[in-house]
Amino acid sequence: MPRAPKTFPASAIAIEAHGARIAVKGSLGVRTLPELGEALASRRDQAMPRTIELGALSELDTSGALFLSSLRARGVSLTGLRPEHRDLVELIEGLELEPLPKPRSLPRWRELVVETGRGFDAAWRDAYDILAFVGRAVNAVGRALTHPHALRPASISRHIDEAGVRALPIIALMAIMIAVVIGYQSVAQLRPYGGEDFTINLVAVSVLREMGVLITAIMVAGRSGSAFTAEIGVMRAREEVDALEVMGIEPMEVLVVPRLLALLIALPLLTFFADVMGLFGGALISKALLDVSAAQYFDRVRQAADVSDLAVGLIKAPVFAFFIGVIGCMHGLRVRGSAESVGTETTRAVVKAIFLVIVLDALFSVLFEKLGL
Amino acid sequence: MNTRAHSNRAEPILSARGIVNRFGSQRVHDRIGLDVLPGEIVGIAGGSGSGKSVLLKTLAGLHHPNAGEVRVQGRRIETLVAAEKAALIGVLFQQGALFSSLSVAQNVMLPLREHTALPPSAQEPVAAMKLALAGLAADAAVKFPSQLSGGMVKRAALARALALDPRILLLDEPTSGLDPITAGGIDDLIRKLNDSLRITVIVVTHDLATLFSICSRVALLVDGKLTIDTPEGLRQSSEASIRAFLSGPRAEAAMTARRH
Repeated sequence: MPRAPKTFPASAIAIEAHGARIAVKGSLGVRTLPELGEALASRRDQAMPRTIELGALSELDTSGALFLSSLRARGVSLTGLRPEHRDLVELIEGLELEPLPKPRSLPRWRELVVETGRGFDAAWRDAYDILAFVGRAVNAVGRALTHPHALRPASISRHIDEAGVRALPIIALMAIMIAVVIGYQSVAQLRPYGGEDFTINLVAVSVLREMGVLITAIMVAGRSGSAFTAEIGVMRAREEVDALEVMGIEPMEVLVVPRLLALLIALPLLTFFADVMGLFGGALISKALLDVSAAQYFDRVRQAADVSDLAVGLIKAPVFAFFIGVIGCMHGLRVRGSAESVGTETTRAVVKAIFLVIVLDALFSVLFEKLGL
Repeated sequence: MNTRAHSNRAEPILSARGIVNRFGSQRVHDRIGLDVLPGEIVGIAGGSGSGKSVLLKTLAGLHHPNAGEVRVQGRRIETLVAAEKAALIGVLFQQGALFSSLSVAQNVMLPLREHTALPPSAQEPVAAMKLALAGLAADAAVKFPSQLSGGMVKRAALARALALDPRILLLDEPTSGLDPITAGGIDDLIRKLNDSLRITVIVVTHDLATLFSICSRVALLVDGKLTIDTPEGLRQSSEASIRAFLSGPRAEAAMTARRH
């Protein structure tokens, strides 16, 4: 078969029209097809050609053959086809070709209704799943604590290192920064009333009660909650979780409990660390903006805030830790099969954990207000 | 069977010369040479971890060898621009590598959209034709890769590899993980495409049935060296390690199956 050697398939096509018959020369392929289509479309007013002469066709690919067979179906006769090209056209004609089905599309308003319904249904299921998983997690943690031999200290300490120790630098930086932000805003707002000294009270109280624990929890949800989901999710996708179950090892006990316990230990400590760094940031900002020395600053802090403020912040930490851990692990175990579901579950876990942390924080604020703390 | 090569030209469409691939201190390929003639079906076989897939990636220009060169139609593969390479070489990856965010039809139309001037209305019939050629019904076209069975994934990926009518088709384990009937269907399909479209096929496999039933020549990768011969020739090789690969009860069964 004398196929022009070394020609690249994009080689040219030539179309010559002689009234009702046209001759196509050169290469008819997926790249030259648009040209032929245009040439035929431009003569549409003169109706379709009756015959197409293809004796000088050097190359034909399947897309070209498909086009020729569709022309033949419309009553155009193809003449001079080479045997190998005829074989190809016949092969394509022998295929059972149906048009591609259109994806079913709903009217816009119905789509909206369906999506809303789906959303509520998913939220309801989610709430149920979280509740169920919280129950299982509490049960598993309780059993681990009452049967200390079931505890896995090596695993717990690894997770404390990953979720806690390695988070120290970033938590320190964020706590200092948040104190600086509060400090600047307070000075700007209080100065017109001559109350800029109260900046110290604001920084100290808001860091101890709210900002320290909130920043830490959000950071941990982003760093460790996502890591929990991804780690467990990959194990799930590779059937490692199923392997544990078959070996009679409870995934809740080896995967979930150590992570939960590690977070329950690490997050309160991190929060205390964030409080200290936040107060340190307050000292920096007081020196810079108010020219208050460190000694004076800590004197003022002692007057403005007391141990109950610290306690209000710290008591929230284990609660946040528990929910961040539960949601991270739950979404990890929800991964099904494919690798892409690891990604979607991780995103969901982080969003849900941060959302829950903030909702719980609001609830705590109301609670402490009622309790007068 | 041995003279399946359709060309009377001796000039290879794809040739590899002196390919060396090292991973750390391990020499996976030790100055490998391979010439593939237009219209041939060449099998690349070898034990697990012998570097078959790396060799295929090297031939596809996805892996740069430590030494040696790959030429397609006489031109170094590195010098081909993307559009040329797409028109010359189609690859079926082991796991299909279908884009999970696109439907099957969109997967097949992606190369058409990128590399041709076909209007979207003309792309759809072409995609439907490629899917039919690969043995998929039209209702599979709107499905997403996650909804497909293993055999359908291979067929859809094959349809995508054929989208631009490449001259050379590189197949990485086209029948792995498939039941014997589906695997046999894929073998038939490869042979049909080779017969009717004159596509040159290089297939990496350790499915002995595929090697015996469709390959005109087999390149066996043992200890970093390539031994190239017809399947029968390799079975009568003087080297025990080569004979061992292609004999034994499984090979006998595959040979018997082929004769029927």
